[in-house]
Amino acid sequence: MLFNSLTFVVFFALVLGVYWSLRDWNARKNLLLAASYIFYGAWNPPFALLLFATTALDFYLGSRIAKAQQPHARRIWLIASVTSNLSMLGFFKYGNFLLQNFQWLLARAGVAYRPPHLDIFLPIGISFYTFHSLSYTLDVYRRVCQPTRSLRDFTLAVSFFPQLVAGPIVRAADFLPQLIAPPRLRPGQLGWGLLLMTLGLFEKVVLADTLLASSANTIFGYGGVVQTLDAWTGVVGFAGQIFFDFAGYSTCAIGAALCLGFHLKDNFRFPYAAVGFSDFWRRWHISLSTFLRDFLYIPLGGNRSGPVRAAINLMIVMFIGGLWHGAAWTFVVWGLIHGVLLVIERILQSVFKGATWTSSWGAKLLLGLATYVAVCFGWVFFRATDFATAARLIGAMVDTRHRGDALLTTREILQVGLVTAGLLLAHWKLRDTSVPAAVARLPRWLVGAVWTLMLCAIILAQGTGNAFIYFQF
Amino acid sequence: MPSSTSSFERVVPALPWRRILIAVALLTAAATLGWEIRCRTWGYTATLNDTADLWAQQRRKVRPDSLVIIGDSRPLFDLDLDALEQGLGRRPVQLALAGSCAYPVLADLAADEDFHGTVIVGLVPLMFLAPGGPLLATSEKALKRYHHGTWAERSGHYIGRFLEERLAFLKQNDLTLESLLKRLPIPNRPRALIPPPFPPGFSTVDPERRSRMTDKCARPGALQTRIKEGWLPLFTPPPPPTFVPKDVFLAGVGSAIETRFRDTAAAVKKIDARGGQVVFVRFPVTGRLKQLEDAATPRAGPWTRLLAETGAPGIYFEDYPELASFDCPEWSHLSAPDSVAFTQRLVPHLQKALAKGTEAAH
Repeated sequence: MLFNSLTFVVFFALVLGVYWSLRDWNARKNLLLAASYIFYGAWNPPFALLLFATTALDFYLGSRIAKAQQPHARRIWLIASVTSNLSMLGFFKYGNFLLQNFQWLLARAGVAYRPPHLDIFLPIGISFYTFHSLSYTLDVYRRVCQPTRSLRDFTLAVSFFPQLVAGPIVRAADFLPQLIAPPRLRPGQLGWGLLLMTLGLFEKVVLADTLLASSANTIFGYGGVVQTLDAWTGVVGFAGQIFFDFAGYSTCAIGAALCLGFHLKDNFRFPYAAVGFSDFWRRWHISLSTFLRDFLYIPLGGNRSGPVRAAINLMIVMFIGGLWHGAAWTFVVWGLIHGVLLVIERILQSVFKGATWTSSWGAKLLLGLATYVAVCFGWVFFRATDFATAARLIGAMVDTRHRGDALLTTREILQVGLVTAGLLLAHWKLRDTSVPAAVARLPRWLVGAVWTLMLCAIILAQGTGNAFIYFQF
Repeated sequence: MPSSTSSFERVVPALPWRRILIAVALLTAAATLGWEIRCRTWGYTATLNDTADLWAQQRRKVRPDSLVIIGDSRPLFDLDLDALEQGLGRRPVQLALAGSCAYPVLADLAADEDFHGTVIVGLVPLMFLAPGGPLLATSEKALKRYHHGTWAERSGHYIGRFLEERLAFLKQNDLTLESLLKRLPIPNRPRALIPPPFPPGFSTVDPERRSRMTDKCARPGALQTRIKEGWLPLFTPPPPPTFVPKDVFLAGVGSAIETRFRDTAAAVKKIDARGGQVVFVRFPVTGRLKQLEDAATPRAGPWTRLLAETGAPGIYFEDYPELASFDCPEWSHLSAPDSVAFTQRLVPHLQKALAKGTEAAH
């Protein structure tokens, strides 16, 4: 079920109404669990069984980790959990990719092997719910959270419908405590939750799908060389589209959860105003970057074993981060580009350590713009379906003498330009604050007017139910 | 019990949320009502959007012995389902798709081992032989929705239908924000490769996907002129892409067309072999659009070859004075009243063609 669908509007209204009318906390949790499985099963019912199987296995393994006395026994149960989760993810998401690469390797060795194409349907949101579930056994192992005795509660923590298919990646340690006692609906919580949902839908339906997607699709789908202006418009358009698409989903999820009395952490914090790449990753897909930091970078040694080892660790993390997004080498290259940029940033930080000019506003702005431009170059590999397309686009972006084709209408170029300018201005204006703090400073009539305009724009856009980009991950 | 490691709580800005919520609800309702009234004063009425979901809903109605209409927008506009039912004794299922190549739908029916019904294929050779691009994508999207549509999409479709039958502004090819932005008179760069725009919506659609041209379009006027002018660039084959050598591109297109002829013959034979029938129909086209189509795909070309290779009967409107006497107001489709008369006159020809087909099979 998509947030930007009429089905969800009816579904959410029903769930919300019944949820707050129930007095018994267990009954409410049962309702949320049933609603979450309906939400997920509405795509493909058999995949709900897979979701439950993953959850049940991690519930069992979590209790075994907690009960085990010996460190090596704890480690074995954890390995079982990690292996089972990653095997499932590997089979569904990377099965064909691995076979193709295996075939390529054999061909290099002179062995002609044609693997069967596995007709595998990718369960929607598998990368997200696998991480939701895995976070539990990892945190039980780290003794950050104790195992829950309630399979129902754990199943709800993994499948809670607002965050189930496209994040934020909510850790069991953050969610399970919220299931202990019934939440109270505080004054303004419902209104604020609904405003966040409207903002998220506006970002997705109006900004991403209506104003930006067509330019990006045209440019990335073209087989020839395009003019520099078109190339930049397509790439910058995609940079805006993916932000509004994904941040829109997260905002909707946070708003929907808040309406139900649950608190999910921010997943984005004005990333296009980042100064440097470590700052970017503190602002972009925060739940994934903290997951990889806590469960991969730090266990690898982090930056405790010297700069060279830290650089290697960073590259490993970004390699995995790239692969997590999709079974293609273009995603890996995207991840590695960010890894290299992070390493370079660390080197520069040590070279310019103590330099005062770096904290001036002008320098920050220039470094911020440089970060944005570098991130846009990275997006080329993320969005392109192959390296040839990525190379053509990058060539067109850097070589202004190139005579390529003009593909975009003037209207599309203006749309992308205006939306991007607004996006960057908003991110820079708000980079050191938060949405609630910014909204609290606005006069109430302006909040109402902006909310009304967003709703009217969503109604006018009449979205056709385009799926969110991150569903495929 | 899980240890509580999370004390995170979202901040709610201190504002009078109840009052804001009520004001927003009232203002949004008023703005929506105002927009609805404005759209109705422009002449729009509440009608369904012809979406892939509506198509999939009709596709699910196909039974093994159904009478099915496939093709582009001409059979969609020009065939009256009541008149066909009266003449042929079966209620047809309308599966033609505007702006599409019908081949994928024909292939899908041929691949359905249970299907042994009758297929009326509306044929515009330029569209049916399209080697790729949006014409094929339209059919493939609809088929994908039929084969892989989810329960969520189905329920969304039924809720959408409920609203579309009541609200005039819910018109996806005319009144969306994107459509309105596209109408802004902003000139494009010289030599920009911009595909021609699709004409504005000019029909109403009922739940069985019977499309009727609106009166406004049937009358001479600005809308009719705009639609006429829209057809000519749309029906002009696009130039070869700049990134493929012309001879390589033309060879690729030629090979794709040859494959289409072969695949079509195979699909028709599959349906024939199960006792089904396929009949091709060339619907009326007039004015400069007819000149353009005749020049690009003369009758002696694809039409004749397709009938010869498939062995299926064909009805070409120009062969019969009673079918050729209709005028298409915007060159491409019949008006709603004419479509009923046209179908009534077409029925005897269909009966004859289908009877011949049956005799040949015996």
